[in-house]
Amino acid sequence: MRFRTLALVFAAASSVLTPLTSTAADPLKIGMVAPLTGPGAESGRFQMNGAKLAVEQINKSGGVLGRPLELVVEDDQTTNPGAVLAFSRLAGDASIPAFVGSIRSTQVHAMAPDILKTGKPVMIGGTDPQLTKLGNPWLFRFRPNDSYSARVIADFGVNVLKLKKWAIVHSTDAFGTNGMKNLTEALQKLGATTVLTQGYTNNSQDFTPVALAVKQSGAEVMGTYMTFEPDQGIFAKQLRQLGVTISWVGSPTTVTTTALKLAGPALYGSYAVVDFNRDSSPAAKAFAALYETTYKSTPDVFSSWTYDAMTVLARAINTAKSVEPEAIRKAILATRDFAGAEGTFNFDQNGDGLHGYNIVRNDNGTIVFDKHVEFRD
Amino acid sequence: MGIALQLLFTGLGVGSIYALVALGFVLIYRATNVVNFAQGDFAMLGAFSMVVLCIDLGWPYWLGIVLTIITMALFGALFNLGVYYPLRHRTFLPVIISTIGASILLENGVLAAYGPRPQSLPGVFASQGFSIGPVFFDSQYLTILAVTVFGVALQYLFFERTLLGKKLQAVSQDKEMASLLGIPVAFMIALTFVYSATLGGLAGILVAPILFVSVQMGASIALKAFAASIIGGFGDVTGAIVGGLALGVIETFGAAYISVPYKDGFAFLVLFVFLLIRPQGIFGERVAEKA
Amino acid sequence: MPTRRLGGAIVFVAAAAATIAVPLVHPMPAYSLNLLMQASTYAIAVFGLTIVLGYTGQINLAQAAFFGIGAYCVALGTTTFALPFWIALALGIVLAGVAGAALGLTTLRLGGHYLAMVTISFQTILSLVLTNWIPVTRGPDGISGIKRPTVAGYALTDSGVYLALCFAALWIVGFFVWRLGHTRLGRHMQAVRDNELAAGVVGVDTYRTKVIAFTLSSVLGGFGGGLFASGFSYISPDQFSFAESVVFLTMALLGGVRSPFGTALGTALLILLPEWLRFLKVVYLAVYGAAVILIMVFMPEGIWGFAAGLVRRVRGAPTEPAASVPPLPLTTRTAQSDGTTLLRVSKISKHFGGLKAVDEVDLEVRRNEVHALIGPNGSGKSTLLNVLSGLYVLSGGEIRLEGEAIGALPPHERAARGLGRTFQNIRLFTAMSVLDNVIVGAERPGNPVEPGSSARDLARAALGFVGLADRAQRSVTSLSYGHQRRVEIARALAGNPRLLLLDEPGAGLNHVEKDDLVALLKRLKGHGLTILIIDHDMNLVEKVADHITVLNFGRRIADGAPGEVLRHPDVIAAYLGEVKDRAAA
Repeated sequence: MRFRTLALVFAAASSVLTPLTSTAADPLKIGMVAPLTGPGAESGRFQMNGAKLAVEQINKSGGVLGRPLELVVEDDQTTNPGAVLAFSRLAGDASIPAFVGSIRSTQVHAMAPDILKTGKPVMIGGTDPQLTKLGNPWLFRFRPNDSYSARVIADFGVNVLKLKKWAIVHSTDAFGTNGMKNLTEALQKLGATTVLTQGYTNNSQDFTPVALAVKQSGAEVMGTYMTFEPDQGIFAKQLRQLGVTISWVGSPTTVTTTALKLAGPALYGSYAVVDFNRDSSPAAKAFAALYETTYKSTPDVFSSWTYDAMTVLARAINTAKSVEPEAIRKAILATRDFAGAEGTFNFDQNGDGLHGYNIVRNDNGTIVFDKHVEFRD
Repeated sequence: MGIALQLLFTGLGVGSIYALVALGFVLIYRATNVVNFAQGDFAMLGAFSMVVLCIDLGWPYWLGIVLTIITMALFGALFNLGVYYPLRHRTFLPVIISTIGASILLENGVLAAYGPRPQSLPGVFASQGFSIGPVFFDSQYLTILAVTVFGVALQYLFFERTLLGKKLQAVSQDKEMASLLGIPVAFMIALTFVYSATLGGLAGILVAPILFVSVQMGASIALKAFAASIIGGFGDVTGAIVGGLALGVIETFGAAYISVPYKDGFAFLVLFVFLLIRPQGIFGERVAEKA
Repeated sequence: MPTRRLGGAIVFVAAAAATIAVPLVHPMPAYSLNLLMQASTYAIAVFGLTIVLGYTGQINLAQAAFFGIGAYCVALGTTTFALPFWIALALGIVLAGVAGAALGLTTLRLGGHYLAMVTISFQTILSLVLTNWIPVTRGPDGISGIKRPTVAGYALTDSGVYLALCFAALWIVGFFVWRLGHTRLGRHMQAVRDNELAAGVVGVDTYRTKVIAFTLSSVLGGFGGGLFASGFSYISPDQFSFAESVVFLTMALLGGVRSPFGTALGTALLILLPEWLRFLKVVYLAVYGAAVILIMVFMPEGIWGFAAGLVRRVRGAPTEPAASVPPLPLTTRTAQSDGTTLLRVSKISKHFGGLKAVDEVDLEVRRNEVHALIGPNGSGKSTLLNVLSGLYVLSGGEIRLEGEAIGALPPHERAARGLGRTFQNIRLFTAMSVLDNVIVGAERPGNPVEPGSSARDLARAALGFVGLADRAQRSVTSLSYGHQRRVEIARALAGNPRLLLLDEPGAGLNHVEKDDLVALLKRLKGHGLTILIIDHDMNLVEKVADHITVLNFGRRIADGAPGEVLRHPDVIAAYLGEVKDRAAA
């Protein structure tokens, strides 16, 4: 309890002293909801890295409206109530004009009512297509949503690899189930057949039944939406042990650094759709180089989307020349052909900024960029 | 047929993981009448210890195993001192909660110290395994099965044929009486925790190459291991083994032939049925309360 | 109403009104509203644990499942089925209650760890169903757009007003739970918790009590969940997992599960602690785990229990004024000894596997006599008594109490027919006061209570009879062994027993205490009470017994007046060995 009093004293003191030091170079605070604890803690760190990197770059080139940006982060504990509390805590600070929200769709759903009430822009990374169909004008998505990932998987598999008999393996959480639904739909439209749809619960210790089901289905190619890398790794290994060598086009988890390390040779030769790949564009290369110099490690999707989110947000505020929510909103939606690390941003009226995905290939352990597929509808 | 055989092998393999962890549960329960919710985290600690020693520091595998076992033994003693001993006279509920607190502390402590990235650990054998006909025999699963069988035999000899083993049994059956006979009960219980922690750590070392090393790896096994020990007959060592193996097989077959997403549910459904029809489990005995 | 209670009631109502009024009149930031909404709805669910775990001592690790049932009923009800909130909430409460009752009915015959596992199983299966049964539950996506209730045509979209509603619900439920602890049902629950065996023998239907407790717990879980869903307008299945059940349990235990104040405190702490510890960022969950252990070690009764204990020690136990104790109306069927048979035991047997602990024993206890049952160790005396009480199922034979066959009845129904007993190793309800222990005895089903007097008065009378009226408010554990023994006897007496079974009442007593016991027994006998007593002390037996039956190796070897029985050669041989053995010894 002493900490609380100490914090209160400190807060009181700083609130008294601050007016004495306020000048035009007053930092502009942007709120960020990120998982610092709980299962998402790893990704939370990367998300913060990406955002901080962007803030550094923005401040180097003069900041926003002449003021340096400052990131205020609250822990969402990787739970829904946690996200709601984190956001409402940030929203209580009236000096924060905009926020960077969660990469988990269920958390965004949970925060949505409060976001609507607060009436300020929130940059999100969750890929549930429903999020931009809620009628909530304050959500701006910085990753292509899952309807695109599914279409790209289907398009690549059917039209490029020329494979029409599909098995879909997916996690039963929101990400996996929606991915499966979208993929089934996309495959149907392209005239391919889904011979097996197999769900599994996250953190299964054994995938033999799934691997056997795939083997027995006679599928030529497998599309996967798997959420956690250990599951990915165990599944890949057991699949190969049972002698299944069919083609594999997976969700972004298939090519994260951790996935590669855990699954090793079992994932060689597989394809994946990723929104972030360093070789997909000059902007991506530049971001990757910058990230590596600063953090001495390779960036991935968790850091790229927050980097883009902060960058676009800063640009929008500068363009709008105002921190009013409506002005920021208009400016973001007006973003055209902005080259970000994730891709080229063209915001549609629903708030989706990206409409395509990259295909990459696992070439004996190295991720090689194959092509980018964009949808202009 | 080939499929059924493969499922059987994998089921036994997964089951032996449950059996190893269940064994740790049962030992502590018999000695202290307490269910240790942190048992799965012992496995997690063992696995992380191996990662630090063999991957980060690059020391030889066998050395890593030896040092991990020693570390886990020490940890077991520490656990006893910090979590069980201060509560030894209370009812079982505060102790259960204390072990839950310990579980949270361990998982988040390791998370804070090591970070959330799952790690991989090489198996005991360089080769992944071999195929006989339609069935693939994963070498790590074979190792686990072998170690479990061997370990249980060794344990049987220890408990039944050595004086120390018998003293431990006495303590687990009747603390008061054992104490009156001059057996140092507190020390025996400490030994039980040491042994159980070591067992848990060993389970972690064996399981890590298959499940990968993550902070959550213990929790998912522990619950099922607990169910397995009840199916086998709570408080019975043979029961823990049989229950674990049975559970692994039921789960795997259930997943293959009924439903994969509901796989986790089968374990508990079976448990439910057992508790309705035969609550003492396969090997357990009903103990009547003396008036 | 006594002034202290009136004062307490005023404080309660004032506090409730104050907290409910605050969110109504004072605009609060969204963060505080969310936090308090979570805390209050969780607290209602945790109150359920106060009932099932705190009062009744049964573990429930599925509270999050019941919480989830309530939440999903409200969510689906107000969205998919367009039901008004109140109907959906009622549905949720009923469904949760039915689930709880079903679970309880099937598994409450087991206890402890088994119950823990069954509740965990139910919890896990429900989580899986919520996640995977997509057509009904919408699966992992969750349900958004959950509606708020309308009160008198006015929709509670304002979270401040909704919070006031939650607070109101919290206070009402809290009061109900607190009140429950002081009712007959509440006492039965606590008796089951403290000593289930004794509870049965004293007339508590332990199975029914446990099922009721479990059902109440699940009902409160559903209620809290329904309120929660509407408060946050979005739920997803991952919120109702086993981990959440563990959180509920920890909240209950941290504050002190035996009191609703404790559980409310624990809930508030565990929701606020992570918030206060936010500055610790990454490490705080580890700190929280350590804190849980420390509180368990140093404050096992939880924080509230600890504080309450301090207050009690400071204030001291209140004493009862001796003058106001009414006399014990020891009712007996007939005032004089008339030699008719009260209890007839015919060819009773009890086998444990191959061991015949009791082997075709015949016994007759006549009205208003003190009948002693003696025999060497292991002769089957306690076993016979347990068979008579219903704690053991008889393997053969018949028991008739005043002609009525009671051999198939469970313990609490035998208590209802006037069978009372004490135990060799004293079985009192350790967490209850002396008076409450005896009240449980007085409240046994079928107890003929004089018009105008209440169970409480009867209990005080019983205590007065054994000379402990001034210790009524003390906790039983603070009494000496001899006094505890007397409380146990008082508990049995308060039930107006027709037949009193005393199992080694002299065990563990010293000289003086034994003399007191003999005096007490003589007084009871003088009031015409029929007693069947087991004891090893021959002096004691000789002083009080009218009739003695002797057992050896489960069989009856002698039966008759004390003079002849104690000189019977078989009896002497049984105790001291054959003549040739005695010579050798």
